Amino acid sequence: MKSLPPAHWRWARYPLAAAFCILTSLGGFPLRDFLDLANIVMLFLLTVFGSALWFGRGPALMAAFLSVALVDFFFVPPHLSFAVADAQYLVTFAVMLAVGLITSHLVALLAERTRHAQLREHETRILYQLARDLGSALTLGQVADITQHFLASIALDATLLVAEGPAAKPSFQEFGHRHLTELERNIARSAYLSNTIAETDSLASKNVAVAFLPLNAPTHVRGVLAVMPRTDDIASVRSHRHLLESVALLVAIIIERLHYADAARHSELQVAAERLRTSILSSLSHDLRTPLTSLVGLADVLVQRQPALPPDAVETAGIIRDQAHAMHHMLSNLLDMARLQAGKITLNKEWQPFEEIIGSSTRLLKTLLARRRLEVDLERDLPLVHFDAVLLERVVCNLLENAAKYSEDGAQIQLQARRRASALEVAVCNAGPGFPETRMERLFDPFVRGTNEPAVAGTGMGLAICKAIIEAHGGTIGAENHPGGACVRFTLPLGTPPSMEDEGR
Amino acid sequence: MSEAKVRVIIVEDEPQIRRFVCDALRREGCTCIEAGTGREGLDAAASGMMDLVILDLGLPDMSGIDFIRDLRTWSPLPILILSARAAEQDKVAALDAGADDYLSKPVGVGELLARVRALLRRHGQRNEARPQHRFGEIEVDLTRHVVTRGGAEVHLTQIEYRLLAVMLANSGKVMTHRHLMQEVWGPGHSEQGHYLRIYVARLRQKLEADPALPQHILTETGIGYRFQT
Repeated sequence: MKSLPPAHWRWARYPLAAAFCILTSLGGFPLRDFLDLANIVMLFLLTVFGSALWFGRGPALMAAFLSVALVDFFFVPPHLSFAVADAQYLVTFAVMLAVGLITSHLVALLAERTRHAQLREHETRILYQLARDLGSALTLGQVADITQHFLASIALDATLLVAEGPAAKPSFQEFGHRHLTELERNIARSAYLSNTIAETDSLASKNVAVAFLPLNAPTHVRGVLAVMPRTDDIASVRSHRHLLESVALLVAIIIERLHYADAARHSELQVAAERLRTSILSSLSHDLRTPLTSLVGLADVLVQRQPALPPDAVETAGIIRDQAHAMHHMLSNLLDMARLQAGKITLNKEWQPFEEIIGSSTRLLKTLLARRRLEVDLERDLPLVHFDAVLLERVVCNLLENAAKYSEDGAQIQLQARRRASALEVAVCNAGPGFPETRMERLFDPFVRGTNEPAVAGTGMGLAICKAIIEAHGGTIGAENHPGGACVRFTLPLGTPPSMEDEGR
Repeated sequence: MSEAKVRVIIVEDEPQIRRFVCDALRREGCTCIEAGTGREGLDAAASGMMDLVILDLGLPDMSGIDFIRDLRTWSPLPILILSARAAEQDKVAALDAGADDYLSKPVGVGELLARVRALLRRHGQRNEARPQHRFGEIEVDLTRHVVTRGGAEVHLTQIEYRLLAVMLANSGKVMTHRHLMQEVWGPGHSEQGHYLRIYVARLRQKLEADPALPQHILTETGIGYRFQT
């Protein structure tokens, strides 16, 4: 930074200006018989002008008065005396003094403005340099280093506080040469929250933060720049306030840029991971399902062949078909679970009566339910519910399938639907051994099964899929044992169904 | 199948699936024409004398939907879709594009043949007018607008009656929600899907022995409804 001229120069200017005036007198004295007094005055005015230009306002003022004195003494008759013979010379003196004063003032003002402009230009240049340096920063640590390095050039130091978390209750990540005290941190927080510069003179001493500038980026306040002097010159923080504000703005913009660059990189990664997962799922799904479809069909062709194969061959083919079917079912469950767990299913919700999916579910499980007594018990006039029919059918199928699997031939299975305060409650109950008490709370985790014996086929995914689907609908699901059987209950929230114009009957 | 030689095209890129479908069809006395790509399938259909197309929606050279649209520009051949379960949107798109029915993989021989028979039968009697229908204890006389249940008249509102008539006309065939909405309420009502579901529920209340476990007005979840006698 450009500072004021050194002190010895400041004092040397006066004698120099005086010497200038005396030289003019000495130079002009031999010429006084040839030159008109007006021209002599001109020479002195030139001297005053020069003094203003080179030495500044004070010396110029002195030169103006001295010139008037010298002209009076040496050039105005009677010579070598301050007496004035002709009163009109008083006018000459007055004009000379006035011109000298005005000139010196104007010239000095000009010089001052020039110096100011140079200072500004210098400031702009170093800010530009700072901006360039910050532009290459890739981490918050680098931003802090560059800022500190820059401030060191004007004998200041800074700690960078970057806000994280919710805007109303931020936590600060600190980058600085020393840890801020609790008091300093509190001031920084209030500067951040109020988005105004905080200055604390009372604390002022070397290496204590005295100015807290909020980092006000275009979208958010990103943190606080706490500035502290490196020397005992506390006032230097205040004198650089204008510059510090610009620095804070630059730092804020860079932090915001880093933030968005980070967010963009993060979402890019997420998209890539998501794409990979989807492509693995869909190729798994296709590559495994296709041969299973062939297997089911080809075995079924053998079973139904005319003329019939020998009975044991038909039986074998039937087993192959059923096993392939079971495997396909498991695969579907696994893939569905993978999709549901990723939380990436889109619900295709429609307002519809719940009973819509009961008939279709029982039709899908026709063979399994043939040897059970199914009792459907629906409250009359149930309201419309907003749900994804395909997924809810899945839930009802899984529950009925479980109820059938874990019960004897001829056992009763109940499907109930009731209206509760703000939800539809559906229960599927069976008469059977019930759920083992030790596993009650883990029933809805994937791969947990109701009984230890592997006699009952299944992957243990059924209830986990139900839970994922019901929770995606904002409902709840739970299981309970009762004497001689078990129930699984789930709820679906009731909303306000769309209105309907009824036709006249 | 009553006709001597019914000719069926199976358009499917998996040879093993083609093979079992053809095995099953041949057992029924059909002639089976195999096509591994959509192009081959369309060419085979264009050669004429065909009775049915069985189409897998995942073809290597074109989407199943494009195949159906292409075929429908010049042929009313019945189309049976083969598609994975959990691909309801694809099925709906295919049905709306003009396919007649669908089957979810994996599919058994019995189910496949039942659908093929039903489609061929429907196609055969496409232009026959049938004013009287009978299913369960219900009798419908379309000429007199009278519906009776066990001999007693059932009162249907205009919309309920129209819905029933559309279902009867498409008996045995799957009807998408959109198709039914358009037929009963006319175009521009596709936003009011709940209307259809409410009227179907009312029809079931009036016509089904157990409305929760319907025997005739069946839900095809995620797709629409199917009426069967």
